[in-house]
Amino acid sequence: MRKLFSNPLVLIGFIIIASILLLAIIAPLIAPYDPDAIDVKAILLSPNSQHLMGTDGLGRDVFSRMLYGARISLMVGFVAVGIATAIGIVLGAIAGFYRGWVDTLIMRIVDVMLSIPTFFLILAVIAFLTPSIWNIMIVIGLTSWMGVTRLVRAEFLSLRNREFVLAAQALGAKDGRLIFTHLLPNSLTPIIVSSILGIASAVLVESGLSFLGLGVQAPQASWGNILTDGKEYIQFAWWLSLFPGLAILITVLGYNLLGDGLREAYNPRSSQH
Amino acid sequence: MLIKARIRMMYRYINLGSIKLAFIALLTPLIIAACGDSSSSNQTNNKIDYTKNYPASNSGTLIDAMTGEPSGLIAMIAGESAASAIASNIFNSLLKYDKNLELTGELVESWDVSNDQKTITFHLKPNLKWADNQPLTSNDVLFTWQKVTDEKTRTPYGSDFKLVTKAEAPDANTFRVTYAAPYAPALDTWAGLHILPKHLLKDQDINTTAFARNPVGSHYYKLEKWKNGQFLKLTRNENASQGQAKINKLLSRIIPDKAAQFLELSADNIDSMGLNPIQYARIFPARPDLNKNIALYKELGNSYTYLGFNLKRKPFDDVRVRQAINYAINKQEIIDGVLLGLGEPVASPYKPGTRWSNPELKPYPYDPNKAKALLKTAGYEDHDGDGVLDKDGKPFTFEILTNQNKEREMTGVLIQRRLNEIGIKANIRVLEWASFLGRFIKPKEFDVVVLGWSLSLDPDQYSIWHSSQQAPGQFNFISYSNPRVDKLLEEGRLELNPDKRMKIYHEFSKILLEDSPIVYLSAGYGLTAIHKRVRGISNPAPPAGIGHNTYEWYIPSAYARNEMSDH
Repeated sequence: MRKLFSNPLVLIGFIIIASILLLAIIAPLIAPYDPDAIDVKAILLSPNSQHLMGTDGLGRDVFSRMLYGARISLMVGFVAVGIATAIGIVLGAIAGFYRGWVDTLIMRIVDVMLSIPTFFLILAVIAFLTPSIWNIMIVIGLTSWMGVTRLVRAEFLSLRNREFVLAAQALGAKDGRLIFTHLLPNSLTPIIVSSILGIASAVLVESGLSFLGLGVQAPQASWGNILTDGKEYIQFAWWLSLFPGLAILITVLGYNLLGDGLREAYNPRSSQH
Repeated sequence: MLIKARIRMMYRYINLGSIKLAFIALLTPLIIAACGDSSSSNQTNNKIDYTKNYPASNSGTLIDAMTGEPSGLIAMIAGESAASAIASNIFNSLLKYDKNLELTGELVESWDVSNDQKTITFHLKPNLKWADNQPLTSNDVLFTWQKVTDEKTRTPYGSDFKLVTKAEAPDANTFRVTYAAPYAPALDTWAGLHILPKHLLKDQDINTTAFARNPVGSHYYKLEKWKNGQFLKLTRNENASQGQAKINKLLSRIIPDKAAQFLELSADNIDSMGLNPIQYARIFPARPDLNKNIALYKELGNSYTYLGFNLKRKPFDDVRVRQAINYAINKQEIIDGVLLGLGEPVASPYKPGTRWSNPELKPYPYDPNKAKALLKTAGYEDHDGDGVLDKDGKPFTFEILTNQNKEREMTGVLIQRRLNEIGIKANIRVLEWASFLGRFIKPKEFDVVVLGWSLSLDPDQYSIWHSSQQAPGQFNFISYSNPRVDKLLEEGRLELNPDKRMKIYHEFSKILLEDSPIVYLSAGYGLTAIHKRVRGISNPAPPAGIGHNTYEWYIPSAYARNEMSDH
């Protein structure tokens, strides 16, 4: 653990993610206003002592909306990546463990999925569903499991013929035991790293969808739709674009630093000392 | 070693995706902001003093911006505002509205209505010519009528003209139509029909003809060049039936995004555009450099925004529920918050202040207590204490549907909030226009919509409110049905005396307000910015709006801009 944080980038990434998580969790305690409270007498106020990040086109407090928006963005990241990782582990494990035609079939499905640009696939699917935060999470999850599948399969293929696995098998271990107690725990590191990096891209996809009006629906706040609202007023209400834009930037950066650092830390080649 | 290589591959894959998205999500505002800055490079042009007086002259090009490109320039086929905006500079109608919204002749000198009110005889002006020098005669008018009523012509405007039982052209300057029964909106319909040239179209399929992209008309301008996705350029028609317009050329640039149009206006690349309330009320006051060169015009539009109930669905078939929701919505808040004060409350489906609008009617005041009381009599109370009203164990919840339009979305949010306060849970769903109409409005798959109506000048609203107009795709998609209203609408079409007609429509509006099949939200102002180099604009605007005399507008030659070469 100490080795992990000796890398300043990991530390920074960790601090960023931890503080955003904390802010999102305690949002109801620290938000100065109800995020949906409309005040038509206080439309588009610039940042001031009452409204730290100003107000939007309906007089809602941007700071409060940002805090509640953080919950949405983070939740989308975790749930979507959770779904993707779960699918990825199952399919990757089956393909890597059993090989043969199952492997071929699963990997061709992966190839087909990868050949479709994910964002446009998501757009097309969302167009047929009611846009809501749950649908967004499910759709992002269902369209981004391919990387994890490939990764788990590759790990399994390389671990499958190692001595400890062969030994366990020789001792009579069943397939389930081999997969869950021998292969999977030894493949966890790359899965965790890819998940953390996956969260970053899920946060961006959610923001992108909300920006296009297909993500989280009004009046619920998300960073993406605060940014969309800001687009209309960008010539004179910079605070509506800057704060959500920065929040997305910092969050994605945090996840990337953390994921990158973890990868370095658990890399067998860098663990020589 | 192997593991590292694989992780790398995976890592790069994920990251490539996120980098592209990062550009979409984060850099767009910066790019827009950067474009905004470039406008200041053109500030040198602003040194010209646009306040000097010059006599009217025949010169200059007026450049305006439109959000959509016309699909063609035969208005009856295109049926869209982008097409009619351009086509109305190219084609004439028999009649037109003058600046006080009285009907007057355009292609006709005069017209007579027979004593039984069923026959109208139009007398065309002598020696009318098309832009290609062919004579324009009553045969062209007859031909246009045949086309608009032809079953093969794909036009939404046919039904009005199909009421004509006999149309004839006894001589070159006379056109006569006969209706089975007196039809009060008749003259209005003839003021909206562009007369097309028979000699160019008689052997063509009007739905697909190349004439739609290369029209020949009789009005002030003719099409000079149409560059797809970029602009339409009109130049003066020497044979114009109404005399010569003062401005040489009209250039309509196609710029889909309002914010981009505004940047072009700031950079002095366009002369005129329609503004949204934010641009009008917030950006302009903060930009003295723009105010110096650009004049703003504000006029009440002939349209209104409303919240409409699907009367076929429960509980909206109950008038008490509809009235309760009407009381629960704060209309002034919507006008102040969404339109930034640039709107008027409405209580009838007519433009406030016009003859047809009943001055005795007042909008439902904002009164949440009355709303709750009405809901209680309708059986809605919070029996289970969860904060949402319920009846027979079912909570009162529905979906507010609207199209992708910032103002309508904000309106929805305000309404949702107010309904929430009295215990109605409403969700908002925003849809793109085509699927909004095709998947929800036409098949009537909605609970409640926020939408707008643009109105014609004639008070006849048979197609919107008459119970016979409920088929899929017809305008009465809220399924309103009231025998008294049906009867009044039928009478209104037969009555030609303006005062009696007015009484009919006042009565109709009164019933409509009591019935509350829709909640009137507001009538917004049309907001226009026009560069001060353009002169001759009536201000304040007469009832017909500032656009009524565009042919009298002029650009002094001292102010005319240099022609751009690729236009």
